[in-house]
Amino acid sequence: MRDVVMMSYGEAIRAALDDALAKFPEMLLIGEGVPDPKTIFGTTQGLREKYGAERVLDMPLAENGMTGICIGAALAGMRPVLVHQRIDFALLSVDQLVNNAAKWHYMFDGQQQVPLVIRVIIGRGWGQGPQHSQSLQAMFAQVPGLKVVMPTTAGDAYHFMLAAIADNNPVLFIEHRWLHHIQGEVDKHCPMAELSGAALLRQGTEITLAAFSHMSIEALKAATVLASYGIDAEVLDMRCVSPLDVESVAASLAKTGGKLVIADCAPELASTGHQLLSKLVLTHGHHLQQVPRLIAYPNHPVPTSHFVANHYYPGAEQIASAVLDMLDRSELTESVIGALQSDLPKDQPDRSFVGPF
Amino acid sequence: MTVMSPAPADLKHLYYQMLRIRRAEEAIARRYAEQQMRCPTHLCIGEEAIAVGVCAHLTAQDKVFSNHRGHGHYLAKGGDLPRLLAELYGYAEGCCGGRGGSMHLTDLEAGFVASTPIVGGTVPLAAGYAWAEQMKKSDAAQGSASVAGGRMPEATNVVVIFFGDGCFEEGVMHETLNFAVLKQLPLLFICENNQYSVMTPLAERQPKRDIYKIAAAHGLNTFSGDGNRADEVFQLAQSAVTNARNGLGPQFLELHTHRWPEHCGPNEDDDLGYRSAGELAEWKLRCPLLQTRQMLLGLQLSNDAELVQMDAQLTEEIEQAFAWALQGSRPTIDSMRQHLYA
Ligand SMILES: Cc1ncc(C[n+]2csc(CCOP(=O)(O)OP(=O)(O)O)c2C)c(N)n1
Ligand SMILES: [Mg+2]
Repeated sequence: MRDVVMMSYGEAIRAALDDALAKFPEMLLIGEGVPDPKTIFGTTQGLREKYGAERVLDMPLAENGMTGICIGAALAGMRPVLVHQRIDFALLSVDQLVNNAAKWHYMFDGQQQVPLVIRVIIGRGWGQGPQHSQSLQAMFAQVPGLKVVMPTTAGDAYHFMLAAIADNNPVLFIEHRWLHHIQGEVDKHCPMAELSGAALLRQGTEITLAAFSHMSIEALKAATVLASYGIDAEVLDMRCVSPLDVESVAASLAKTGGKLVIADCAPELASTGHQLLSKLVLTHGHHLQQVPRLIAYPNHPVPTSHFVANHYYPGAEQIASAVLDMLDRSELTESVIGALQSDLPKDQPDRSFVGPF
Repeated sequence: MTVMSPAPADLKHLYYQMLRIRRAEEAIARRYAEQQMRCPTHLCIGEEAIAVGVCAHLTAQDKVFSNHRGHGHYLAKGGDLPRLLAELYGYAEGCCGGRGGSMHLTDLEAGFVASTPIVGGTVPLAAGYAWAEQMKKSDAAQGSASVAGGRMPEATNVVVIFFGDGCFEEGVMHETLNFAVLKQLPLLFICENNQYSVMTPLAERQPKRDIYKIAAAHGLNTFSGDGNRADEVFQLAQSAVTNARNGLGPQFLELHTHRWPEHCGPNEDDDLGYRSAGELAEWKLRCPLLQTRQMLLGLQLSNDAELVQMDAQLTEEIEQAFAWALQGSRPTIDSMRQHLYA
């Protein structure tokens, strides 16, 4: 039975939290602002009223301590979901996440487990600046024992959130602020998702675009315009950062003649693209017929000023140029980029977003 | 030591500084809707007395560290107003060259070292700065003792860290308090207790007990008082600064106040209902400017005409600062790469 509803990414997160709270009596939803009037950009709306203040709660401004407290509660059988409105705030809790959560099951010989979800949001635009818009997915993905996912579509947001909560391991669930308003189909009656595997967003034959989080939206935009110029790109959404699905990329490359563009929402130095590439080279090197491209941010912090921050972020235009370059079709670049241009200010995901947060 | 109420000139100075911050913040709030200041902006309207009452005792050599709600601290310490505004607009002439926006300010000439928005982030930095000042002073004292034979070393420069009640919950706060006492640092901890962290009331985050008493248990000399009374803040800070300058170690002030606008942004948000009914209105009656104004008039230290003129003069200064800021230049795209390493 299919039961498809259209909803925004943010609404899908809320729906998953709602369903999980109903399904798992041991689940807790905790974080700064979870029950406040703005309810984490609407994603926790009404949940305290429905499930009570004991299970849906605010917390002291103490990220490190509260992470450890949630790990302790998880050891004792609870399923905490701890929310940070910015991934930057989770940096305060790296000790607990890396030294404890990620290693507990292993170092005690599998006798104990930490069913914990850390929900974090990557900020962008409206002058979020150096300390409120970092992309740290690769750093967390380098920690064995942590699962790291960054779903792109509303459907994946829903199913991954449910699966992350059901999982008996610590899962870092990364949302991009600019995905929250995007609508998508959610089929609630799918079987429980696996927290692994890339998603095929668009089938194509000439080149593979493997993209992460919000960059998948940009890649899809690029592919759609390229299609109108007769260029057929395949788009893979790398919705799991750890474990990384190298097999799907290799399979796609076998089809597209070994041409690959990776697009990540992170500085080049901190891009999971490097991990993907090195794994590809080590295991499927023969599939790479041409030197691949990595589209990522420059290797410095995001300046606040919108005049320069607008040039910090590559998007569909850079992806399309790389594709055309690789396919020796640079004569199309000008018109494709023209077709991709929008009049929306580059520091707003949509017109309804006018800051300040 | 004796605690002095502010002299007439001091009281007028406090009022002037508070009014300057209030008018600047109001002007920012008004113009924010034009969508040209494109950065998260936390206004300090309602809390001006704390920054002003503390900074009144600081010299340009003393240093201030601050947080996300830093405009008042910056201005009270003598930070450059036009460059603050240029920063909000993202221009190269801003105090951080446009890289910081409202949440990252600096003015080294004025002794305002930095404000940053990760809560608690600047707290240990202030302690480290004070530690260095202390080490530099004892070096200088040893040097001068050998020359001038036992002359009293000059009093130490002090460092001030402004932070909120929410910040007091961060672990780094307590790690820093411990070290500050251990080293007897010339450091002032100024806790602006406005009872909220974003929209979460204190009671959802901390048990019912006084923040300053925890600092006292760490071994700090503590004060608590009405953060909306500039004269009271002035008096408490006078004792605290004198203590810190004279080697009596770190001082802690818990000052009670209330933020009027929304946590972040230019508007009021009483309609959201997270404050208890009548709370904001009651705090507005206890407006720090209003109270000081009444004192000035009641004690006949000033008169309406003088205060109206003061207001007009400040409005003019702020208008000119905006005019200057708005003529700023865009930072170049190439410049974005500079200064990653020193
Ligand atoms: C480490 C960290 N966690 C969370 C936030 C989000 N945040 C910004 S300001 C703030 C509230 C701080 O409250 P308080 O310290 O009382 O200062 P106030 O805003 O009341 O002046 C929060 C939670 C942050 N910036 N940094
Ligand atoms: Mg507060």
